[in-house]
Amino acid sequence: MWRFLAEAGAVFVKDLRTEFRTRVALNALGLFAVTTLAAVSYTIGPYRIAEADRPFLLSALLWIVIFFASMAGLDRSFVKEEDTQTAPLLRLSASPLVVWAGKLAFNLALLAVLMAILVPLYGMLMGFRPVSLWGFAGILAAGGYTLAVTTTMVAAIIARAMTRGALFSVLSLPLLLPLLIFVIQGTRAAAEGSPEGVMEALRAVISLGGIMTILSVVLFPAVWHE
Amino acid sequence: MVGGVRVEFEELAKRFDLRVVFRGVSGRAEPGSVLVITGPNGSGKSTLMTILCGLVRPTRGTIRYLRAGGGEVPRHAWREHLGIVAPAMGLYGELDAMENLRFFSTVRGLGFDEERCRALLREVGLDPDRTTPVAGFSTGMHQRLKIAQAVLHEPEVLFLDEPGSNLDPAGQDWLEGLVERQREGGTTVILATNDRREMEWGTEHVALPG
Ligand SMILES: Nc1ncnc2c1ncn2[C@@H]1O[C@H](COP(=O)(O)OP(=O)(O)OP(=O)(O)O)[C@@H](O)[C@H]1O
Ligand SMILES: [Mg+2]
Repeated sequence: MWRFLAEAGAVFVKDLRTEFRTRVALNALGLFAVTTLAAVSYTIGPYRIAEADRPFLLSALLWIVIFFASMAGLDRSFVKEEDTQTAPLLRLSASPLVVWAGKLAFNLALLAVLMAILVPLYGMLMGFRPVSLWGFAGILAAGGYTLAVTTTMVAAIIARAMTRGALFSVLSLPLLLPLLIFVIQGTRAAAEGSPEGVMEALRAVISLGGIMTILSVVLFPAVWHE
Repeated sequence: MVGGVRVEFEELAKRFDLRVVFRGVSGRAEPGSVLVITGPNGSGKSTLMTILCGLVRPTRGTIRYLRAGGGEVPRHAWREHLGIVAPAMGLYGELDAMENLRFFSTVRGLGFDEERCRALLREVGLDPDRTTPVAGFSTGMHQRLKIAQAVLHEPEVLFLDEPGSNLDPAGQDWLEGLVERQREGGTTVILATNDRREMEWGTEHVALPG
């Protein structure tokens, strides 16, 4: 167990270092987040939406921004290993699950940074103040984890399929659509201050996260190796 | 090294879509010997190396890693017994030499022995204190670091695909010494090359027809 953590940690630190020195993923994520956020707040703003529709529409908009920004950045980690021809030595040096865990940790960190900047900014610009803050935080955490675990797996598949961009969206759709629906429902419930609604969505998101984690652990080695 | 590992392959064939790269390739590499694989450009030397190290599956044929003390190494564990240098297998360009070695050492479960890594870098002719990212290395220096990475964990089987490429004469002499030491230490060396000098290091040969 300690050994596994040390090895996965090495993959995580390596990716973090590389990212700090190139900022490829951060730039992609940041650019996308800033553009969509600016567009959304400029064209819609806090007051164009009727009071009654606000919790739902603002929740949906927030998650759409998070989703697409994460799509722009999270799919890079594996593709980059193939593009820079580092994948073969990584395959021969690290065990598949170590690679998976390290990459997942990196995507989680990236998403956490994105959310930490994006969510408060969105709240300010759009006047989005959820009644239940703990519920909102719970949905963000569970939704963020499930999003990261799903995109990590899909990114690994894409890197092997080599057809990149377009395929990424197609493959992610059946996996991400239910997640998107549940997190929007949960965020809306948090915005309206409905604990039952939050709990229900949280349970669904956590189940999805659990299923994706198990699926990844089982399938990743086969995707990673031929 | 305890005993070493023998690599046997039989009737290997590889096809990409409809194009047959090679077929009917057999051979064996023993601990303490150097198996040289030769063949014209495009004959499949590099492909054969990736197949032998388990990265790519052959279209046909079998490969076995056999422990000298008896018993076969399962395919998923081959990687623990081998090291490789190959043109299409790169290191991390954003990291410096030491960080690269540290990474590969740690993910291999060896932890990080700084003194050993420093000694290894010095041995391949690189400055351990230099913090330039590898992307800024000359191709020859990059090649030296790739060789250090391959022998870092003292593997029983060492794959060298054009190891001398971009090395200066002193580097080639050093490489010859390294191969000799590895062979004497009981390592199974598999060397793909068309370099006349490197071909002479071979104790066995497999020629791909091309
Ligand atoms: N992934 C691949 N997909 C399709 N064809 C491939 C692939 N990898 C290699 N080939 C083809 O297989 C043939 C053998 O390539 P390989 O690189 O193994 O030759 P080589 O003997 O190492 O050549 P060289 O002496 O130039 O290094 C080439 O024709 C190459 O185009
Ligand atoms: Mg070659």
